[in-house]
Amino acid sequence: MANRILITDDALFMRVTLKNILNQNGYEVVGEAQNGLEAVKLYKELKPDLVTMDITMPEMDGLAALKEIRGIDPGAKVVMCSAMGQKNMVVEAIQSGAKDFIVKPFQPDRVLEAVKKLLAA
Amino acid sequence: MKVEYVTPFVAASMSVVQTLIGSTPARGQLSARPQVFTSQQVNIVCGITGDIEGQVIYGMSVITADKIASQMCGQPIVTFDQLAASAIAELGNMISGNSATLLSQQGYSVDITPPTIVKGTNVKITTLDIPALVIPIEITDIGQLEINVSLQERTKTLAA
Repeated sequence: MANRILITDDALFMRVTLKNILNQNGYEVVGEAQNGLEAVKLYKELKPDLVTMDITMPEMDGLAALKEIRGIDPGAKVVMCSAMGQKNMVVEAIQSGAKDFIVKPFQPDRVLEAVKKLLAA
Repeated sequence: MKVEYVTPFVAASMSVVQTLIGSTPARGQLSARPQVFTSQQVNIVCGITGDIEGQVIYGMSVITADKIASQMCGQPIVTFDQLAASAIAELGNMISGNSATLLSQQGYSVDITPPTIVKGTNVKITTLDIPALVIPIEITDIGQLEINVSLQERTKTLAA
């Protein structure tokens, strides 16, 4: 079963929260990136089945990282996970190949639903 | 400063707190504040850029910060460590991000910067030439979260 996940968020709190939610539900968190640059690097190294991607981050933001990752692997499954849910941002993310867009704060079920659906596909 | 800039921050604070902490906060009275003011014990400073720019500062006591972080992390905070600080910073990030979404619905396109935490008593904060509007929100059993909104339209900055 495909269940290897890479988490991307600059906030330690969000990384811990996402990791707990995913671990408790049988998913393996194979890596944690603190910004877009790290996410791209870790994507190449770890080849995860799915990536969660924050948007507002230092070094490289999540939209830029999403585009890079989709450039490396056009089949990459990336779920955006951001506090900002403006229409233009959601549209840009989806057009750039994001599979879902979760607005923070979220309930754990929202994350699990998205992950489950995408990894089954 | 226009009051319409403040409304989204109040609405976003109420809904974010409701989701994270599970209780509906009560909104206090709006008041104006001079450019220089003394901070609370714990402050989350968020930058806003775009059509409207400036800062939003979320202030609270150490006790309130501990209680909020405990709720967010799902365990009591014994010492205010990196995880607790990150939780509090993320609270500011979520409120600012949700506010940006609401502002976009009013036709203002804004972005937010990663939050900074300022801790300590008797710190003087100056928002340069932008006065702040302040709204306290009261969270049952947790304490008060004070939202200082200090924003202006970008064209004014360019003209100055």
